[in-house]
Amino acid sequence: MDSTVRKLSNGLHPIDALDKWFSDGVQLIGQATLTAVKTVKYALAGQIDLPEVFRQANMIGVGSLYVVGVTGLFTGFAMSLQISRELAAFGADTSVGGVVAFALIREVGPITAGVMVAGRVGSAIAAEISTMMVSEQIDALEIMRVDPVQFLVVPRFLAALVMIPALSIYSMTLGLAGAIFVAQAKSNIPPDIFLDSVKQTIVGSDFVTHIVKSLINACIIIFFSCAIGLHTRGGAEEVGHATTRAVVWTMTLIFIFNYIVTALSNLHTS
Amino acid sequence: MISVRNLRKSFNGREVLKDVSFDVWPGEMLALIGPSGCGKSTTLKLITGLLEPDDGEIVLNSKEIGLVFQGSALLNSLTVRENLALALRERKLPKREQDRIIMEDLTLVGLADYVDSFPTQLSGGQQKRTSFARAIVNDPKIVLYDEPTTGLDPVMSTIIEDYMIELENQLHAAGIVVTHQFSTWTRTAHRAILMHDGVIVWEGKPDDAMRSSNPYIVQFAKATKDGPMLTGTI
Amino acid sequence: MQAAQAKKIVASPFLLFEDWMTVGVGLCGQVGIVIAKTFYYILRMQIDWQESLRQAYFIGVKSFLVVGITSLFTGLAMSLQIVMQLVQFGGESAIGGVVSLALIRQIGPITAAIIVAGRVGSSIAAELTTMNISEQIDALKVMRIDPVKFLVVPRFIGAMAMMPVLSIYSMAIGLLAGMIIAQVVADVSFGVFLDSVKSTIIDQDFYVHFLKSAINAAIVIFYSCAIGLNTRGGAEDVGHAVTRAVVWSMTVMFIVNYVVTDLTYEGPR
Repeated sequence: MDSTVRKLSNGLHPIDALDKWFSDGVQLIGQATLTAVKTVKYALAGQIDLPEVFRQANMIGVGSLYVVGVTGLFTGFAMSLQISRELAAFGADTSVGGVVAFALIREVGPITAGVMVAGRVGSAIAAEISTMMVSEQIDALEIMRVDPVQFLVVPRFLAALVMIPALSIYSMTLGLAGAIFVAQAKSNIPPDIFLDSVKQTIVGSDFVTHIVKSLINACIIIFFSCAIGLHTRGGAEEVGHATTRAVVWTMTLIFIFNYIVTALSNLHTS
Repeated sequence: MISVRNLRKSFNGREVLKDVSFDVWPGEMLALIGPSGCGKSTTLKLITGLLEPDDGEIVLNSKEIGLVFQGSALLNSLTVRENLALALRERKLPKREQDRIIMEDLTLVGLADYVDSFPTQLSGGQQKRTSFARAIVNDPKIVLYDEPTTGLDPVMSTIIEDYMIELENQLHAAGIVVTHQFSTWTRTAHRAILMHDGVIVWEGKPDDAMRSSNPYIVQFAKATKDGPMLTGTI
Repeated sequence: MQAAQAKKIVASPFLLFEDWMTVGVGLCGQVGIVIAKTFYYILRMQIDWQESLRQAYFIGVKSFLVVGITSLFTGLAMSLQIVMQLVQFGGESAIGGVVSLALIRQIGPITAAIIVAGRVGSSIAAELTTMNISEQIDALKVMRIDPVKFLVVPRFIGAMAMMPVLSIYSMAIGLLAGMIIAQVVADVSFGVFLDSVKSTIIDQDFYVHFLKSAINAAIVIFYSCAIGLNTRGGAEDVGHAVTRAVVWSMTVMFIVNYVVTDLTYEGPR
């Protein structure tokens, strides 16, 4: 029995596997923190390669336009479908817009955009940087006394700080448009009634929550996928592992921090 | 035997093979040599059926083909035993008979002690020898080697070449080795074909290569930069 | 290759869109072939059960922890938001029903599926692409073994077996989070919460839940396998394959999730 388990988990005892998983996790959090500290230090010192920032902004923003748009739109569809039908049944047609918009802006919008950007941008960054590691390009940088954090992480970080909130707002707008369309098509709620309800419900602080969440998502995605990429050694197989790790870690952390911000913002309003 | 007639193949409009024909007889080892990108690996993939030719004909006297990959290509999720069993599974042998064949095969390449190891636990040379064992486990009448010694150190290259010669004597199969290592094709092959730019530019015995008046083989064998190959493309 | 891509993005987003479309159409064909072959082998019962068990173990073990963590935090965030709203209207007694309905029909399946796409889909794409690059797939073909039969079928069976387990587990953790929030924030006891759940949830909700999770698992497996089996090149391409697998399976899941939501609606509660 024991040997079967060992074979299944590639020769590791489950307890050892858990132990390894845990120590790897602690190590990664340390690496990501160090990367973050260095990045902020370089950024504050003004050692910024602006053309590279624009290039990265283009890659992150334009490169994610379609996937974030499509998922935002369909999230709006699905939420509006479920909420408008339930509320219309109670004769609460006039509050559909408010409930959908509230959920989209504060909760579902940032998290949907967050996981899509994690999947698209986080994995691409981890893949790119770990490929540079295994093909010794990062070693070449270090020999030329160029800090890879300054050269690679800082431009990506600054670009993400601008582009990820922008993508989030874009996803939310498309989601809202989709929601208005579905409310009209499936539950006969006219767009102006929907929008009136949105105006009555949504306050400025909802947008603040949205932006705060997407900024945190940007930090998680950049620091973790860069840290994972910069600590990968080996061959093609390891590039795959690094990319998978980046996706899993960034998504999990996005879910965790999403809750923390939700909890804190509710504490603030109540 | 292997019989190849008027083979053509192009990728994305680039003609990689332009009219290649040759035969390999049982018991003979043919070396396909030439600079990178000359079409020799493509020829091998066409013979194994991994690629389809655009035009031309390939006739094999046996369906049983053994192929030794450049990077060993063992399945990492399976043990050495399971890797060999995979090659045997079409024969649906009883378990005891299958184990006997596998052990016999591994003894031949000196790896009987590693039958239950995973490929990642083996050294590069051991992986290569396992992939030899897998290629010959069905007693194939056709054995193909894709760059068997590329990337190995000179000592390991010699050991692998010795295995190739020994297997050749035992199996009496028709063999093709694709390589650009001088020692490999001069030591293991009975006959060599030099390819350049998708066509055969020289054919002969390895021993005659140095004495030939053909400018291609002279340049390739002596590894000089003066000659008809690669000029102006670097 | 990457420089060309970058130039294209700068040139025009429409060029990129065109590129994206052609790649997508090719991928859909590849996915179609993988699906057809997988069902062909399953219907003929050509299934390697031992390997399927191993894959089920891997899929379950790989996802267990992350699905648990994300479900916990999704459950916490969602219930907090719902509780805050319902308390304003004095609807404490309905908390359990609303939270469990959202969890079982919508948020639960999609959260578990996103994590499985990130964890399992990405590692399948990486593994198969690595096998392709190191010629392991070619080795199978030379031995006249169909990679779909050898690699995709056990993964599909394994995922189909594990997905219901993972989604029940995810749902249970989410519900537990909801109960804790309801108790702490709105002082709603576990009993009141569960009564509300019982009076709201019907069998149909669980059917929808399992239908969605089965479809999502199939999307993840088929897309990541098709991408893995059709990617060649070097280390860089392993990374690209993972990105593509995650992005495509999540996008398709969001679209299909909406369609299923629409088709399975059976009237208000």
